Amino acid sequence: MTQRQTPSQVSSKAPWWIMPGAVFGLPLLAALWMGVAQAADTAAWSALLTDSQFPHALRLSLWTGTAASVLALMLTVITVTRLHGTRHWHTLQAALSPVLAVPHAAFALGLALLLMPSGWLSRCIAPLMGWLSPPDVATVQDPWGLGLILGLVFKELPFLLLNVMAQFQKVGQGAELERHLQVAASLGYDARSTWLRVLWPQLLPRLALPVLAVWAYSLTVVDMALVLGPTQPPTLAVLAWQWLQDSSDAVNRQGAAAALFLTVTMLAAALLCAAAAVPLRGVFRLRWTRGDRPAASPRSPISVVFAGLLASVYPVVLALLLFTSMVGVWRYPSLWPSVWTDAAWQAVAQSVPALQLTALLAVLSASSGLLLAVAWMELTPPHFDRYAPVLACMPMLVPGVLLVSGLYQLALWWHVDGTVWGLWLAHSLYTAPYAWVALAPAYRCFDVRLEQTSHALGRRHAAFLWRVKWPMLSAPMASAFAVGFAVSVTQYLSTQFIGAGRLSTVTTQALTLASGGQRNVAAAFALLQALLPAGVFAAAWWVGKRAAARGVPVSNAETATA
Amino acid sequence: MLELNGIHLATSERSLLNNFHAQVAPGEVLTVMGQSGCGKSSLLAYIAGTLTAAIRASGQVRLNGFEVQHLPTMQRRIGILFQDDLLFPHMTVHDNLLFALPAGGSRAQRIAQADAALRSADLAGLGGRWPASLSGGQRARVSVLRALLAQPRALLLDEPFSRLDTALRERFRSFVFERLRSLNIPAVLVTHDAQDLPSGTQLVHWPNQATHA
Repeated sequence: MTQRQTPSQVSSKAPWWIMPGAVFGLPLLAALWMGVAQAADTAAWSALLTDSQFPHALRLSLWTGTAASVLALMLTVITVTRLHGTRHWHTLQAALSPVLAVPHAAFALGLALLLMPSGWLSRCIAPLMGWLSPPDVATVQDPWGLGLILGLVFKELPFLLLNVMAQFQKVGQGAELERHLQVAASLGYDARSTWLRVLWPQLLPRLALPVLAVWAYSLTVVDMALVLGPTQPPTLAVLAWQWLQDSSDAVNRQGAAAALFLTVTMLAAALLCAAAAVPLRGVFRLRWTRGDRPAASPRSPISVVFAGLLASVYPVVLALLLFTSMVGVWRYPSLWPSVWTDAAWQAVAQSVPALQLTALLAVLSASSGLLLAVAWMELTPPHFDRYAPVLACMPMLVPGVLLVSGLYQLALWWHVDGTVWGLWLAHSLYTAPYAWVALAPAYRCFDVRLEQTSHALGRRHAAFLWRVKWPMLSAPMASAFAVGFAVSVTQYLSTQFIGAGRLSTVTTQALTLASGGQRNVAAAFALLQALLPAGVFAAAWWVGKRAAARGVPVSNAETATA
Repeated sequence: MLELNGIHLATSERSLLNNFHAQVAPGEVLTVMGQSGCGKSSLLAYIAGTLTAAIRASGQVRLNGFEVQHLPTMQRRIGILFQDDLLFPHMTVHDNLLFALPAGGSRAQRIAQADAALRSADLAGLGGRWPASLSGGQRARVSVLRALLAQPRALLLDEPFSRLDTALRERFRSFVFERLRSLNIPAVLVTHDAQDLPSGTQLVHWPNQATHA
């Protein structure tokens, strides 16, 4: 599976390229346009800029979003530099996909249960500190946003790590990077110097888009901020979301203006960083080439221990969700509840409609997302792929509140607000780009000679697709479906807006309950939110395993989700 | 002088090399010939210290009388040239060469050294260019200069000529072997093409290890 279709080979299909492009891009562009149009109101801007909460909320957003992104990037650099080339690297590779599959909201809730003053961590150290009641310290929803920063770092670190690994797994490029390590070592440089002078300067520009996505997400996140972020005032994204949900049109427009302000601020900051990168690169160039070879420092076990501690947070958080979902009475500072109960799971059992809707939406929108991604790759010439990342990244780069407010306007226009169809369409707009990103590397590398052979044997194109290509690509297609499924399950803003509060999923239930204080029920829903995609990822893994057992080359589609 | 004494290489399934001995004098080239995939490159990786854990290896590698097989790659001072030039794409030609030059001297002095090396290889004036803007032959010569500017005690050549076209290949071979001779650097060349053999080389046929002068 090494050869790529050439544009000439698909040129006969070129007139059809517009179809997936249009289905893919037009609703996104329309939603963006409508979101911007809603913000085009001077009264809304005036109300926004004079709002007493606005300056503080903006500062909080900038601080939490930037600090989380910088910390996640720094930890990525340290982790990769320290662990690459060791046996721990492969462990890390294997652990990343399951960690990434944990939804943001579920993770935030679990982390809150770990960190809150009456949380498990506090109970662990209470005997040492002599605490008989929870300490009077805000460890989550703190006014400085430290809890939110921590949550974002934990959630974005695996995403960046996966992106670095994806660079190493790209055919040709990965081998070249590995060889650069060998060449630099033969020139007398140790691994750390080589990473800093040779590999990171090459990798960081390639990571610009994922880093920007992390920054955009961190600046504009709502679901995690609702659980972990400050409340008085909240971050600007949460404030915009609250305004957008108001019954007054004027306040809605103020919310749209806030969302647009965040988007423009993010773009301006990104441009500033890009401009600053040029002189910085000049300074670093002098350091890379001065010829000094620092003595190799022995690999410290501290970094491995630290990485292990970081990694242990994810299973601990999931275990805490399960634990808390069964807690009845749990007095502080006991480590163990005095009363267990299944009341939370009974509440979940009574919410079968929410569970059914979640699964139905996820299956439908993952299928339509996969269909769109396949249609794009079958009908467009490969050189159109250079435009696809722009579309694929749009839902990741444009603040959710702005995009969703535009989507809501579209839903109103099409009369699909508050309907399952409306939710399916909205979710599909998010699942399609992710499915494309997950599938493209394997799909585009499919050996074109197999198609030529099939045609030479007199088979039609449809027969080739159904009997050769798609069975051979079953593993990456299953992975792409699982990615789409997970994206749909975790949708919060779009479900709230397009569902118009009339339709709820496990995600909306979990977040509503989290803010309502019903910890055990919220934990049960959050766990369910994590388990649903995990089940589908397990199924995709099984499909990949079966394909591998049959000798079908397995692609790195899962890592390509980066 | 590069000495290889009692080298054994094996995968979990089969033995690649048994009790191999060779001595390579300064300026001399030891050529190892064999088909692709037979494990020739593993011998170079063992000498360089970059062998993966999938291959078990033992034996002595001595450079100018000192055993180096226990040293990490960066302390062995053994240069490597691969099939690809592997120039660092984010550095200009000058920067690639300065990266290899040992520390010391002002930047201007170091650039002058790099320029002198470029002139010696008919590459004068290309210092400010990016590797991607050079022709294949120019890139190949820059990669040799980079390896030599680090002042290696031996050079390993892992089929460095195989990707070049016939005309370029001949010129590049002469360029490399002349420099090895003039700098008195012992080298090990791995190839599957008899045309790559320098004159007067020690030749080892893999896998039976018959040696010819």
